[in-house]
Amino acid sequence: MANAQLTDKVKISDKLDPALRFQAIKRSKNIIGTIFFYFILLSLSFVFLYPLLYMISKSLMQSWDVADATVRWIPHEFNIHNYKVAFTAMKYWQGFMNSSIISFGSAALQIISCSLIGYGFARYRFPLYGLWFVLLIFTFLVPPQTIVVPLYMFFSELGWINTHLPFIVPAAFGHGLQGSLFILIFIQFYRQLPKVLEEAARIDGAGAFRTYWQIMFPLGKPAMVTVFLFSIVWHWNDNFQPSLYLRLPPFYNLAQRMNGFYGQATMTADQMGASVSSSAIGMAPTVMNQMMAGVVLSIIPILILYLFVQRNFVESVERAGIAGE
Amino acid sequence: MKFKMNMRKRHIFEGYSFIILWIVGFVAFMAVPLGQSIYYSFQKLTPSKTGLIAENVGLQHFRAAFAVDIEFLPLLQSTFTGMISHVPLVLIFSIASALLLNRHFRGRMIFRGIFFLPVIIASGTTLKKLLEQGAANLPIFMNYDLYRMLRLFIPGDILESLLTYADSLTMVMWDAGVQTLIFLAGLQTISVSLYEAAKMDGATKWESFWKITFPMIMPMILVNTLYTMVSSFTRADNSVMDYINTRVFSDNNYGYASALGWIYFVVIFIMIGIVFLLFRKSLASMEGR
Repeated sequence: MANAQLTDKVKISDKLDPALRFQAIKRSKNIIGTIFFYFILLSLSFVFLYPLLYMISKSLMQSWDVADATVRWIPHEFNIHNYKVAFTAMKYWQGFMNSSIISFGSAALQIISCSLIGYGFARYRFPLYGLWFVLLIFTFLVPPQTIVVPLYMFFSELGWINTHLPFIVPAAFGHGLQGSLFILIFIQFYRQLPKVLEEAARIDGAGAFRTYWQIMFPLGKPAMVTVFLFSIVWHWNDNFQPSLYLRLPPFYNLAQRMNGFYGQATMTADQMGASVSSSAIGMAPTVMNQMMAGVVLSIIPILILYLFVQRNFVESVERAGIAGE
Repeated sequence: MKFKMNMRKRHIFEGYSFIILWIVGFVAFMAVPLGQSIYYSFQKLTPSKTGLIAENVGLQHFRAAFAVDIEFLPLLQSTFTGMISHVPLVLIFSIASALLLNRHFRGRMIFRGIFFLPVIIASGTTLKKLLEQGAANLPIFMNYDLYRMLRLFIPGDILESLLTYADSLTMVMWDAGVQTLIFLAGLQTISVSLYEAAKMDGATKWESFWKITFPMIMPMILVNTLYTMVSSFTRADNSVMDYINTRVFSDNNYGYASALGWIYFVVIFIMIGIVFLLFRKSLASMEGR
């Protein structure tokens, strides 16, 4: 092999000119390829940034800018007033607190419970293992609407309506929003860690839980970052479950407030009460900019969060190996 | 011998103590509600002061869903035909973007950050709001000069439907965030030496994609197919879901809604079963690997 390469080099140096030409062609091809590559990346990025840009641009417009066909992206006059209207109409801080408790509470509990359960599935073989595993997959596939009526009645009998408990308690049991997906992520992650790690701890006399808690749980950080971000984002944006369990305006989360927010021209979200319907088609452009301001306000907290954990998140995904075996 | 039994029993005990939390949760938040919803689907439920009053109506709800309800079946059908075109597109797009992002280039952290942005923005209520605004259809193809330019070569009717379709691809791209992540994670696990060996043997990039990359990410294709199907069945803007919600919360027709939920669930399960059958061959060959 080495000989072959050597003779190649000799041949090239014998006829210097064609070799140089070949390299020049190769380099220019590379440049064109790189330009093309970045062109594709940039145009795709535009598609992904579009919703954000759209929301921000519209939310900064005056109503006449929205109606003006010559204004596409940049308004004639920046208008922060929309944000003020949306902020007060949504009772932002109240909604923010509700969303935060639900999202962070559930995410934290899901990290703990799903990691524990995932570890059990990853490292132990016990009777009925196959059954429980199939049921885990099954849980992932059941549309939440199928069981929503009994669950609602169950929680209402317990007096949990208008509290955060319908979100927090299932999360503590490894269920809740996408709980089974998170368990699968942890199973996958723990399976690929070497068994030697635990064996060493066991030989040193640590029990099963101590081994898990002190060795395996901290090692699960890459999977945790993924689960944490997904859990927070999905809880934050979820409107379906909150609309069931949070039925009085003071308990609404931001997604509900955003959904019920039609801007100054109609009413504030709270006045509209629990029966806010979701369709707002045919809305006047006057209200639309205020509503977009509301949407921006409601997702800004998770955008900021994403900005901070993004690097960790994307890196951790590489290591967590969400995918199947 | 006795010691061994103890070890084994202890192993089982430990294993169960890790997952007991989940089993309890499964019974409380999944099994019991599921059982109840089957029961409700055969009942007529009327709300009263003391709670719901159940009255057995047998298969009436199921018959109604197929024979009386003029809205449900068309919605079901359109959801499934939509999904059949949506899933392959999401898969192709997410493989392509995972391949793009897997290369080494300047600023790839930034681009990765941008590519996963829709996971944050285009979900739940925010997505709903954007859809209401019509912001989910990028006007790139329809509004700009492309239409006029292509109009010279392609007849208007065909072109228009083609470009409208291209516009709707935005949704495909926004939907592909999680799937791209999964593929990216999968691509990272393929050892570089495989590509080097193929290159030595004179394989082109195209060949090494089909001979190495594609078989290696086959399991992720299955995972992603299932994930895309489930998420498109259960997403906030799914019309069947909307319809069931309306039956529950506007009409308070709990029994009928439960029956609809079950029909929907069974159909989904059949679809997923078909996917498993299609992938059976590749799954079987993978186990021998």
